[in-house]
Amino acid sequence: MEKTELTINGAKHVVQVDDDTPLLWILRDTLGLTGTKFGCGVGVCGACTVLADGQAVRSCQIPCSAAAGRNFTTIEGLSPNGSHPCQRAWLEEEVAQCGFCQPGMIMTACALLRENPNPTDGLIDKVMSDSVCRCGTYPRMRRAIWRAAEQMRSPKQ
Amino acid sequence: MMTSRRKFLKTAALSGASLVIGFNGVRLLQGAKTSAPFQPNAWIRIDADGIVTLTIGKSEMGQGVRTSLAMLLAEELEADWTHIKLVQASPWPGSDLGTGGSDSIRSSWKPLRQAGAAAREMLTTAAAARWKVDRSSCTASHGAIIHSPSGRSLNYGELVGDAAKLPVPQDSPLKDKKNFKIIGQRTSRIDGHDIVTGKARYGIDVKIPGMLHASLERPPWDGAKVKRVQEDAARSVGGVRSVIKLSRGIAVVADTSWSAIKGRTALAAEWDDPPKDAFDSETHARRLETASRETGFITRSEKAPAGTGDITKTIEATYHYPFYAHAPVETMNCVADVREDHCTLWVPTQAPERLQNRVGELLGIPADKVEVNITLIGGGFGRRLGFDYAVEAAEISRAAKAPVQLLWSRADDMKHGHFQAASVHYLSAGFDAQGRPVAWKHTKAGSFHNISPLDPKEAHDVAWYQDWSWGAYDVPYAFPEIQTAYVTVNLPVKHGPWRAVFAPSSVFAREAFFDEVAQARGADPLAFRLEMLKGADVIKVGSTVDRRRLRRVLEVVRDKSGWGASIAKGHGRGVACNAYFGHTYIAYVVDVAVAPGNNVRVERVVAAVDCGLVVNPIGVEQQMEGGIIWGISSALKGEITFRGGAAQQSSYADFEVARMHDTPAIEVHIVPSDGPEPFGMGEPPVPPIVPAIVNAVVAATGKRVRSLPIRPEHFRG
Ligand code: FES
Ligand code: FES
Repeated sequence: MEKTELTINGAKHVVQVDDDTPLLWILRDTLGLTGTKFGCGVGVCGACTVLADGQAVRSCQIPCSAAAGRNFTTIEGLSPNGSHPCQRAWLEEEVAQCGFCQPGMIMTACALLRENPNPTDGLIDKVMSDSVCRCGTYPRMRRAIWRAAEQMRSPKQ
Repeated sequence: MMTSRRKFLKTAALSGASLVIGFNGVRLLQGAKTSAPFQPNAWIRIDADGIVTLTIGKSEMGQGVRTSLAMLLAEELEADWTHIKLVQASPWPGSDLGTGGSDSIRSSWKPLRQAGAAAREMLTTAAAARWKVDRSSCTASHGAIIHSPSGRSLNYGELVGDAAKLPVPQDSPLKDKKNFKIIGQRTSRIDGHDIVTGKARYGIDVKIPGMLHASLERPPWDGAKVKRVQEDAARSVGGVRSVIKLSRGIAVVADTSWSAIKGRTALAAEWDDPPKDAFDSETHARRLETASRETGFITRSEKAPAGTGDITKTIEATYHYPFYAHAPVETMNCVADVREDHCTLWVPTQAPERLQNRVGELLGIPADKVEVNITLIGGGFGRRLGFDYAVEAAEISRAAKAPVQLLWSRADDMKHGHFQAASVHYLSAGFDAQGRPVAWKHTKAGSFHNISPLDPKEAHDVAWYQDWSWGAYDVPYAFPEIQTAYVTVNLPVKHGPWRAVFAPSSVFAREAFFDEVAQARGADPLAFRLEMLKGADVIKVGSTVDRRRLRRVLEVVRDKSGWGASIAKGHGRGVACNAYFGHTYIAYVVDVAVAPGNNVRVERVVAAVDCGLVVNPIGVEQQMEGGIIWGISSALKGEITFRGGAAQQSSYADFEVARMHDTPAIEVHIVPSDGPEPFGMGEPPVPPIVPAIVNAVVAATGKRVRSLPIRPEHFRG
């Protein structure tokens, strides 16, 4: 077991785990960052989505060996106290039901809006449809993304 | 919220008093004395810092129950909404904390408000005594008692010490609903902030000192024996502590989740080949179809009154309903810490008491030595009424002599579900010489669920069979002659309640066949429903159906959807409605588009719901939307199939569920109700959505769809 230095939410962590340990389990088991969820472990649900240098990635598919040198952001590090426009929009649109898929969904939406401040509905559908919400919060999620996009374009306090 | 809480905590340091009001199912209990330890079976505790702690006896799995129950309490207590804190109840001897059947809000409606009103009255009495004024000149508002004539006020926190010394009034008057300030208001989820910041803790997030992680390899079909297994290979995986053979499979216990998963893969377990007659869902479907022709147990029988025309024409159809998985995003999991003479569990469950009893039995200790901590649930849908995963965790912890978290993989969750059972429905309708429908017959061939003990004594009782055929026996339409029946077919794989319990299959068949009757009659399906809902306004058929409420929701969707307007080629519009157990009335109009590639897309859903008194409109809308999406999944996406005794699907890739791109425009109209009480909303939206989609597809393609999920081959060519 090698020591690996990881950058998570702006802080450096040295972890000692097997090379093939997925980032998901490092976050959850080693670092106690349980906001990132396990939903399938095989890349089909999106519950484990985090940002890698601003891009949405599935932490269950990134082995430790591929995680070094990248900057990861998890739901816990997205903003101080839930103030990111996506988080606010999510609350304003009352998106969550059970809430379990929501951290992954929010991270996916953040990455989408970062690259496309003005996404079409088609693009929102395409990007968000890689993830599963069994509670069916999609209509509200869609509205939250519109709202967050607007917020980010013309931030008002 | 947090700032004000902190401010009040200062006052708390001054006094250790609190007012506790409990409820033992019969009476409100005496307020606890100063500094009394918090009783988990208390409903309410008000501390000197003004914080109101409400113990929630129901499991939160996305239905917003924590918020809506807190609203009931806050309303009668005149509490300050920002000062409410929630604690999850654990079962105690005689408790009943199970969550299912959309029953939480209804069963809590009276006792919670009664407790809130009693506390308000005690606080008012305490304030009046302190000021030496007449009680009637004092009012409660926003967490304080106010004496308007003198402009004085005292926060609840300042009064709890005095109030706790008073007897608990048993029959404090409840507020008239026209004075409600909180009930009926759009209220945000109490745990919303925790969810969007990743702080919400689900079962999977529990971590206790010394906890190990386990993964369990189960036999693929019931009774399979292991042929080959590489135990040593598993043991040699870094971090693996032990490999344990259990009644339910082979567990790998390790320091981390990943080591447990890797260790389990290293087992490379090979199992016996299934016997030739192992369970197969295709064979089962044929068995069900044959059974649907039997008479079965008659669940409702109404003979046509004299003067009804003779039947001169009959139509009939057979509807097939498949197996489905619950597939919540949080897989089954449980943390168990088994000690010599007691055991502690942290578990996302809908059935804490049954789980407690079963684990007690397993360990040979009394149930009250099994402490159950109910966590947040990442989707329940009825799956967590089963507790197999908790029993497994306890077994592993006992063998490993350590606290253990058992986490199911996604494939475990798909393959070892407690599935929604397949059923076959045989329906027929008779018409008289004038073409009027005079007879309706619906026989459901299905299976009693087998995940919790059933009382066979009841199996000769009509209520028992009705319970397995909600939606069939309570057909709301006024056919002069009605016969409904249930035929039991044994089902050897695990199956249990699902979202809307057993209603979805029956309502699918009933509402789709009703459109066939309308077509045979040459009638518009929506107008024909309204016509067939005439006659007695209220019918009692086991459950009570108020046809006026069902007519009203149909009229709303008719008017809001533009029903009757012409529709472009390749598009179709369908309707369906249902009275869920006589409580919640829902109608949908659905627009679909059938693309040239025969792909069905639901484009718009117009919904109307009458769920009695509305506690939180946001909650109602969310459940309607979620139920509609759930229905889109079952109408158009995945099913579970069995070969060789095992479920064939293993993830969302082969048991597909609706995603964002499958989401239609949804309009929810909450119909004002004269119902005096609220009813739960988790389940009722599900049953009528699937037949509304089916009817829309039939309208678009001109081809009958009689099985699910809808596949292009149903209407190709
Ligand atoms: S857990 Fe990573 S995609 Fe499902
Ligand atoms: S909110 Fe429950 S899975 Fe998305």
